[in-house]
Amino acid sequence: MTNPKPREAGAENQIAALSEAPETGCANEAASILLRVENLSKRFGSVQANDQVSFEVRKGEIHCLLGENGAGKSTMAECLYGTYKPDSGTIYFKGQEIRLTAPRDAINLGIGMVHQHFVLVPPMSVVENIIIGTQKKGLLLRTEEAETKIQGLCDEYGIDLDIHAAIKELSVSQQQWTEILKALYVGVDLLILDEPTAVLTPQEITALFRTVKKMAEHGLSVVLITHKFAEVLEVSDRITVLRKGKLIGTVNTRSINDRELARMMVGRDVIFHVEKEVIEPGDLVLEMEQVTLRNSQKTKKLDHIHLQVRRHEILGLAGVGGNGQRSLYNAIIGVSPLDEGRILLCGENLVKKSVAERMMARLAGIPEDRIKQGLLMDFSVKESLLLGRHNRRPFSRFGWMSKKKIRAFAEQAIADYEIAVQNCDVRTGTLSGGNLQKVILARELSHNPCCVVASQPTRGLDVGAIEYVHRRLLDLRREGAGILLISEDLDELFNLSDRIAVIYKGRIMGEFERSEATRERIGLLMAGISE
Amino acid sequence: MKIGSFYLEKRTHVRWYIQGLSILIALLGAFGVGALLIKTTGANVGEAYAALFKGAFGSRNAFLETLVQSTPLILTGLAMVVAFRARVWNIGAEGQFFAGAMAAAWVSMSLHDTLPYPLLLAAVLGSAMVAGACWSLIAAYCKIRFNANIIIVTVMMNYIILFLLSYLLSNTWREPGSYFMQTARFERITYLPRFFSSRLHLGFFNALIAAALVYLIVWKTSLGYSIRAVGVNPVASQFKGIQIKRTILTVMLISGALAGLAGGGEIAGLQHRLRLDISTGYGYTGIIIALLGRLNPVGVALAAIFFGALVNGSTHMQIFTGVPVALVQSLQGIVLIFLLMSDVLTRYRIRRMPHAD
Repeated sequence: MTNPKPREAGAENQIAALSEAPETGCANEAASILLRVENLSKRFGSVQANDQVSFEVRKGEIHCLLGENGAGKSTMAECLYGTYKPDSGTIYFKGQEIRLTAPRDAINLGIGMVHQHFVLVPPMSVVENIIIGTQKKGLLLRTEEAETKIQGLCDEYGIDLDIHAAIKELSVSQQQWTEILKALYVGVDLLILDEPTAVLTPQEITALFRTVKKMAEHGLSVVLITHKFAEVLEVSDRITVLRKGKLIGTVNTRSINDRELARMMVGRDVIFHVEKEVIEPGDLVLEMEQVTLRNSQKTKKLDHIHLQVRRHEILGLAGVGGNGQRSLYNAIIGVSPLDEGRILLCGENLVKKSVAERMMARLAGIPEDRIKQGLLMDFSVKESLLLGRHNRRPFSRFGWMSKKKIRAFAEQAIADYEIAVQNCDVRTGTLSGGNLQKVILARELSHNPCCVVASQPTRGLDVGAIEYVHRRLLDLRREGAGILLISEDLDELFNLSDRIAVIYKGRIMGEFERSEATRERIGLLMAGISE
Repeated sequence: MKIGSFYLEKRTHVRWYIQGLSILIALLGAFGVGALLIKTTGANVGEAYAALFKGAFGSRNAFLETLVQSTPLILTGLAMVVAFRARVWNIGAEGQFFAGAMAAAWVSMSLHDTLPYPLLLAAVLGSAMVAGACWSLIAAYCKIRFNANIIIVTVMMNYIILFLLSYLLSNTWREPGSYFMQTARFERITYLPRFFSSRLHLGFFNALIAAALVYLIVWKTSLGYSIRAVGVNPVASQFKGIQIKRTILTVMLISGALAGLAGGGEIAGLQHRLRLDISTGYGYTGIIIALLGRLNPVGVALAAIFFGALVNGSTHMQIFTGVPVALVQSLQGIVLIFLLMSDVLTRYRIRRMPHAD
């Protein structure tokens, strides 16, 4: 996609883009600077989330804040939006120093933000959600004027949305449009989007980026927070990279490639394509036949799912979040009893077996929400590693836990899985995201599983940790386990899977050999469009 | 939350001395408010508190009596520790206490001439534990079977058993010819042994043993692991095969048995007859004790002795300074309020907004 934006691109490209010093532009640039952040620092307890970060956003520019998880992107955004107050540093907006004490201040100044988690009232319509809190006078809602304005905005930015529909009827992407309209409606000059693509299909991402570019053309500045390289390179004008709270530099998108960007972000070279050996898959490990799960309203959460996973094989399951992946994970692990169908593990029917029995039959699970579903944050690492086996030999005999065996296992696991922690008595909650996931991996994989169900195993992890998880999954594949990889990250699925199936509204829309799978085919099925 | 230029910041790490400090602050705050209450009676605050202390710890006998007063509180506190560790909000220790007391009374009345001495005591205390467990089982069943709110059910059960007892004491069990709603005094053979020529009875040592057992169960066994895991994260526990319902059931049984034992101990060790006023809210006070003791058996024992001291000292205070005994009850409530407030300080630190200028 070519970019018709009026910019002084040629001049900029010559400036050493990778330099860490703030860019020195020509005189007319100074006038076009909308937001300038100088030496902003923010500390949470012992964590320095932002450390003397400076960057600037120009008028009409799409500016990416790129960084690994925990690099301080979201903290920076929340400081700009007034949710957090910086410990030190100054923010200039439209040439004026600003001090925000609450998001309301930011909105009044013309800074809007769309969070990862939407703040919408489900039973109310798009229009109502947008005008909540904007009306200054009167008791009754006057919607006609607002409707015209909102419809106008939709047309202007090419947003395809029924503004009279209730939020609860809308898809995630449409809800996101509503959030964006909320900001546009009050007339922002700077729009911050926090990880906007995490919940979208490839097609929806394209539509979002089209609109974002249109906004920039109309003179709006957009700050896009993300950790995905492809997006950054596709959509942005300039990129500011943060690492561990520190500014690494601001670069022009045109003058950098993904490898250089990755090095800036991670601080070392990153292998993008994992080496996957060619292994002939073996016997069936996990079989799902007509697996059906209904919710309390009797609508189907899972609709006659039929999937098979073999030894030495990774079956990827693609799909936009909320299309039954969670139910499927729960059904296999044994948390949700099936309404119909069978699940076989190495030919043995699991349906009547409890969670613990399935675990003892060497079924391992990596849950999507590692904090809520996987770990005991208030327990020590040692105890977290034990969960599920605390009442089994050798850790426990006749109900009495063996301190020695538990400690020995934990120390071994910490060494084997390179968990960065001083000792096994540290509280689990103090670990970083990557290390939390390693605790789960250690717990699930160190008992020689024959089948692993991994749900979003790299979500929210930094690049280093993602690599580690991928390597572990491929090791397992080599050792002969069958793996069901449920993921919303298409890159991950394409890199790791031997086959890819797509789930939509609880149904399997199709299944491809890796060699036949393309982003377009998968993307269409993810949106519910059959070939 | 913001007040002026101050705001709260969540602590990433709570150190033990911060916990201790917060308890200390809470106690100081409570005694401070208590001082205001004493002032309203016209008494001298210093004298009143001195009398309170003297009544609780002033002599060997005063101290032993403090331990007597603390006995039921240790047990009801422990009952709460077990339940609250699993985040099962058993507010029914009061009812379970009465269930235990009633069972102990029934065994004392009906079996005193059939069983030999030590066996009889075991039957008295054992039946109290079983009865307490059974009474809490009803609430546990409602929770497990119908997902009823356990707080509401246990509180209701407290009323039910009080009315049941009231009925029994006005009819079947009433001491013949007595004006009061009470049973006749039980035979001496049903009394728990007493020590140091004081009122200190075997129940106190039972309570200490129970504290040790609770400690071992909660921290050294796989059952305790399950209990704590369910309390910390029921979802993760369930995902890793811990059976939540079974854990709730076990917890309620243990908790009820401990509260029941408290009731049995009071009957067999102290009261030797069943009346409606054998508990001055021990079950409810146990909640405060458990929180004050940070859900830790040792802490609970100390907190219970502290509360026992307050109760014991209050009589002395009333006699010598005229400050009514009721002060101590309000003081207990105030301690809880301050404890909850100071809890904020353990979880957050107060920070001042940095000023840009």
